[in-house]
Amino acid sequence: MKKSPILLGRNKLFLFLYILLSPLLPQKLVAGKTFYPPQATISGTITDTEGLPLGGVNIVVESKNIGTISNMDGTYSIKAGPNDILFFSIVGFKARNVPIEGKTVINVQMEEDVTQLGEVVLNAGYYTVSEKERTGNIATIKTEVMEKQPVGNPLAAMQGHLSGVNIVQNTGVPGGGFEIEVRGRNFINGVTDPLYIVDGVPFGSQSLGSDDISRSIVYSDISPLNAINPNDIESIEVLKDADATAIYGSRGANGVVLITTKKGKVGKTRFDAHLSTSLGQVTHFMDLMDTHQYLEVRREGVSNDGLDGFLGVPRYDFYWPDITLWGQDRYTDWQKELIGGTAYRNNAQLSISGGSDCTQFLVSGSYLKETTVFPGDANYKRATVHSTISHRSNNDRFSLNLSTSYTYEDNLLPRSDLSIQAYTLAPNAPALFDKDGSLNWENNTWDNPLAGLEEKFGAKTNTILANALISYELLEDLQLRASIGYTDYSLDSYRTLPSSTRNPRFNFTPQNYSNLTTNESKRTSWIVEPQIQWKQDWSRFSMDVLLGTTFQQQATEQLVMRGTGFPNNSLIFNLTAAELVEVRSSTDSEYKYNAVFGRVNLKHMNRYILNLTGRRDGSSRFGPGKQFGNFGAVGLAWVFTEEAIFTDSSVLSFGKIRGSYGTTGSDNIGDYQFLDTYTVTGADYGGIATLSPSGIYNPDFGWEENKKLEAGLELGFFKDRVFVNASWYRNRSSNQLVGVPLAATTGFPELTGNFDATVENSGVELDFRSVNLVSDKLKWSTTFNLTVPKSKLLRYDGLETSTFADSYVIGEPLSIVKLYHSLGVNPETGQYEIEDYNGDGAISSSGDRQWIEDLAPKFYGGLGNTINWGDLTFDIFLQFKKQKAYNPIQDNAVPGYRRNASVDLFYDRWREPGDVKPFQIASSGLIPGASNESLQRRSNAAVSDASFIRIRNISMNYKVPHLVDGLDVNVYLQGQNLLTFTKYKGPDPEQTLNNRLPPLRQLTLGLKVGF
Amino acid sequence: MKMKWTSSFRKTIVAIWALIGFVGCTDFVEADPPQNIMISETVFEDASTVESAMADMYVSMRENGMISGNYGFTTRLAIYSDELDYYGFNTRLLEFYQNQVLSPNAEVLSWWSEAYAVVYSANAIVEGLEESTDLEEDERNRFLGQALFVRGFIHSLLVSVFGDVPYITSTDYAPNNQVSRMPEVLVYDRIISDLERAEELMGMSTIENEERTVPDSFAAKALLARLYLYTEQWELASTEATELIEAFSLEDELGMVFLKGSPETIWQLHHGEFPGNTQEASQLIIPSIPGQSFALTNGLMSAFEDGDGRRSEWVDSIMNAEETITLYFPHKYKAQFDVTESLEHSIQFRLAEQYLIRSESRTHLGDLVGARKDLNVIRNRAGLQDIMADSESGLLEAILTERRVELFTEQGHRWFDLKRTDRATLVLGMLKPYWEDSDTLLPIPEMELEANPNLLPQNQGY
Repeated sequence: MKKSPILLGRNKLFLFLYILLSPLLPQKLVAGKTFYPPQATISGTITDTEGLPLGGVNIVVESKNIGTISNMDGTYSIKAGPNDILFFSIVGFKARNVPIEGKTVINVQMEEDVTQLGEVVLNAGYYTVSEKERTGNIATIKTEVMEKQPVGNPLAAMQGHLSGVNIVQNTGVPGGGFEIEVRGRNFINGVTDPLYIVDGVPFGSQSLGSDDISRSIVYSDISPLNAINPNDIESIEVLKDADATAIYGSRGANGVVLITTKKGKVGKTRFDAHLSTSLGQVTHFMDLMDTHQYLEVRREGVSNDGLDGFLGVPRYDFYWPDITLWGQDRYTDWQKELIGGTAYRNNAQLSISGGSDCTQFLVSGSYLKETTVFPGDANYKRATVHSTISHRSNNDRFSLNLSTSYTYEDNLLPRSDLSIQAYTLAPNAPALFDKDGSLNWENNTWDNPLAGLEEKFGAKTNTILANALISYELLEDLQLRASIGYTDYSLDSYRTLPSSTRNPRFNFTPQNYSNLTTNESKRTSWIVEPQIQWKQDWSRFSMDVLLGTTFQQQATEQLVMRGTGFPNNSLIFNLTAAELVEVRSSTDSEYKYNAVFGRVNLKHMNRYILNLTGRRDGSSRFGPGKQFGNFGAVGLAWVFTEEAIFTDSSVLSFGKIRGSYGTTGSDNIGDYQFLDTYTVTGADYGGIATLSPSGIYNPDFGWEENKKLEAGLELGFFKDRVFVNASWYRNRSSNQLVGVPLAATTGFPELTGNFDATVENSGVELDFRSVNLVSDKLKWSTTFNLTVPKSKLLRYDGLETSTFADSYVIGEPLSIVKLYHSLGVNPETGQYEIEDYNGDGAISSSGDRQWIEDLAPKFYGGLGNTINWGDLTFDIFLQFKKQKAYNPIQDNAVPGYRRNASVDLFYDRWREPGDVKPFQIASSGLIPGASNESLQRRSNAAVSDASFIRIRNISMNYKVPHLVDGLDVNVYLQGQNLLTFTKYKGPDPEQTLNNRLPPLRQLTLGLKVGF
Repeated sequence: MKMKWTSSFRKTIVAIWALIGFVGCTDFVEADPPQNIMISETVFEDASTVESAMADMYVSMRENGMISGNYGFTTRLAIYSDELDYYGFNTRLLEFYQNQVLSPNAEVLSWWSEAYAVVYSANAIVEGLEESTDLEEDERNRFLGQALFVRGFIHSLLVSVFGDVPYITSTDYAPNNQVSRMPEVLVYDRIISDLERAEELMGMSTIENEERTVPDSFAAKALLARLYLYTEQWELASTEATELIEAFSLEDELGMVFLKGSPETIWQLHHGEFPGNTQEASQLIIPSIPGQSFALTNGLMSAFEDGDGRRSEWVDSIMNAEETITLYFPHKYKAQFDVTESLEHSIQFRLAEQYLIRSESRTHLGDLVGARKDLNVIRNRAGLQDIMADSESGLLEAILTERRVELFTEQGHRWFDLKRTDRATLVLGMLKPYWEDSDTLLPIPEMELEANPNLLPQNQGY
């Protein structure tokens, strides 16, 4: 089609004016274009099969897309033409089409639907799609499942529920973050964060925490997602395959998480209050040595090292105060003392919602306060306000959805996690307080762990998320839409180190030591996405076309300052009181992003579905000429049960085969990586500010590429009471953007560039749900999901000579670790022996770390059962995972060190020639290099099975029967992370770093009142 | 129906075109560099930003790596040899104390990588200056000389503890990532030629350097003298030392030698903003017992002759509360972090070393009179009598002892003296149970051998 530029220009101008003016003058401009037949008012009553009135049923005039909702007594009325068809739908019942055929009263009986396949509408981001007709793979979790779990972060509610999505909680400390992997790890650089989109607005999930402040408490991972109150979420969809993610182009490689918040519903104004209280505790204490056992191995170690001659010499007491100075009969259970408390969480939420046919609203506010298991008054507070308003014009052509949420978080914690102290402090370490009640330093022979409680970490965040979705139906089949979003996330955190918390032997004073570090960070972004959608239905064929463009800009700033030297410790929170204020880092960066995207969906007889999606992306993260990339996917589905031969099948009620193939990408590499630059570091040399080299020029890097292939089979049996969804996928990621570690001789630790390497993630996912039993009073349903992932490095040119030679192996996953092979303890010497693979007589890292263990899960999933019995609902959800992980030997393989450890080290240590034991001869640890201890800690002995089955959630809900008309009262008891079955020796098999507070067990009692 | 289809289709096409009209703007996806970042080219357009880039190297050297007070030779090589005892639990330091350093040792890795990071900075400055046309000749020469000096200096530290090391002269990561080690002798040649060029470039420019905190041509001479001594080029060592002895003068008061205005300081690193004095003082002064990390060895204490002023001025002691333990510690730097007034910088080169260098060189050259004279200048300042030794070997022995008590706990002099005179095994073998002959060199960090296998083989004994 050839177009003259003038004509094009005129059309553009016309269109512009049209868009601008049409909302103001809808009737005038469209008058005469469409003719409606004379309208009549249709009314009636809707009942269920037992004849009871049904309120809240959606009634839509099919041809016009206008609708209403039935009242509590089941009555409705709506304007429609005599030849229109009314469409009745409500969750839990089969939808019905009723032709009006000139009638004015239509009473309808709705039949209960045990499954709701056709009803389930999935959010695919730029469009929605019914579960029945989807060509892509979209996993979803709805509010009904989330609200049964007493958690503070939406990711916590997703754990175990979604196939292909592996989520691990990083810490049991409130305000911390999660690791998430959608279908495995695609990229060598380790970034697995999916793209998060909240109500259409991309939400930066990367922490703005600073290591200077929060490294030792939340591991700098202050998750912005904590700002999203799970109770405000209607549903979360995870887009997994190419068909679903390609429309997100360069940011879809690691999957897309779509969060949709709750909206108001038509009906009378409704008030809902929700109150709950949780008690949280550490699930499992390690079995550590008691004082007697500890001192026995300590003395034995000193003696084995030939140092017992020094034991009585005061000059050397410093080495072993636990043996010579501290009480030999003292015993403190440090786990109980330091992490044995109860964390209380109180949550209150009030929401008001309602609306007319045209305008609906919802306002909800919540307040949460959570304490910790540590001693002291540390706590996390969160207040959220969420509001939405939806409006449709009378003629249904114009609609507006506004949604805003504001969250304030205030986290006050000790500046370091006490767990490591709890696991390692000597059991006879001195009392925490002396007789006067002040911190006891026991003549300066130890560092009192409670001193750390006076070292504060504080983080305040403000999060604003706002979105407007405006749409206008230009023609009957043509809709113009614009989504406009804004996010603003600011973090204000600090850490104080007062001199009073340090051992007095250092002679620290407020003037020479006390310091305050602050981090003021901010991330703001806006996005504008104009779109146009055109739908057309013919008798056997329908078509849905979407075209849009994105402009996005994100600015990030971080300012980290440290003030040192205060007149006294009570002024430590005031930076201006500091003697010296230095800027530790001051960074700002800008990210700009621009794209065109589109979708064409073709349907033939509701049987054959073709879905084409594509996107052209430009990102400022790449050098000149490399900024743009193209991505696209094709998805196909064949609903074979629509074919004639299946129509009479009583067993198979639904069957679909689907497949997709396409490309996505990733630009998840940070800003400005292609420039060679100098950075202002904030340091100073005799008054001269310093500039430090901060990047090697590399203009050639471009998008990472991720090709996704998927095939799926969906089957419904017995009127879809049993539903199985099986998928197979294979994702290949290439052109890897890798921070290639460099040899130190280059002056830089790494260089970011594209590498000719391919990582393959494949796997099988199975989702199963069934309604096992339905009767008048009893309903029992089951859900089950299983993921069996496989991953391997397919190709890496020059791996052997590269800096990754030591980390990866072709044909093995990225999640492997290369280890020494421990031959156990030599029965004659009592020392660990390590296999000398290359036979050169020495054990070296490059030659002898040949043992490979894979730390990725072999399979994982969840099993849920829900039983409704009258007004009582009972849920139990099990999560399971088969995996290996580092065990506590990674931290300590030798009995006798000056730190407590697993009691196994006491019982199973080698003591005399002939002993066959897993642990070596005791040693004081004062003579390094004397044993293979450090090799043992990096050997296969340090990795063991960490599979587990966990009762992730049990929930009991009682719906108090009719008290007063219109009053709903629910009382519930929920338990999260209740019981874990595992052989793993560390504190927790989920989070296996072993030096952090593991996720807590939580028991919640709650009350919901609505009227 | 047909009509409608075509009309809406046309509208769609129009709309598509309109949308595309919005897009395709490459300008939109170009982001401005942030405020805290400068593109490298622009750094070298202005003397003040070049000065900032130079300052970054000095800060790096002061804070991390081989000559930093916190992590450097001063403490690490003092416990590795026989100057200090170590009382702490840090495994990395215990490895040093017991001459059992393992190749993954993080201290060694940080020495290696911090050193090459500074070398990169120096090379980037050299390359940047060579491209730049905006600076005046004088400034350009001075900066170029300083960068070359730093490059030579850092390599001299590397070669002194690791033996054969790569000599890096460019910023190009590709060859530097695959580089091989250069034989020690050649490394010394390269250092010396860099230093000679640096001396020449810096000598031509004038510089205000009252506190002597940036290196100038005298710093280059001082390092040359030291390296000529280490490589037994006695004549050259003597010449360089003489030039310095003529230009500088000794501080008469022992108690003032390490103050920042000392006239014998040739080059020192400016202390950090906070604490406003040296890391050396904080590391070495024992606050209380227990609480000690390091204390002077009995061997060193007994090396002081009676009446040696350095024993009283540069050493202090502390007793525990029960008065059962007395420990001695270096007290050359006296201002700890609790002194907020700026008193001391971290001295890298001072004139006393030059007297001892010339004395030793003169001995080897046969000028025993001159040698004795230089030695006695140092002894006299410490309140000691002239030494009477009149044989070459007697004099060399006396110089070695003098170096031990003059330069103790300063940048590992004792260790390097033992090593270069082949006495390490003789002296340390008797004191240290785990001593082995191969301990004269430290291991190349294991991680680096893995990152670049061309660095293999590992030093002997590791």
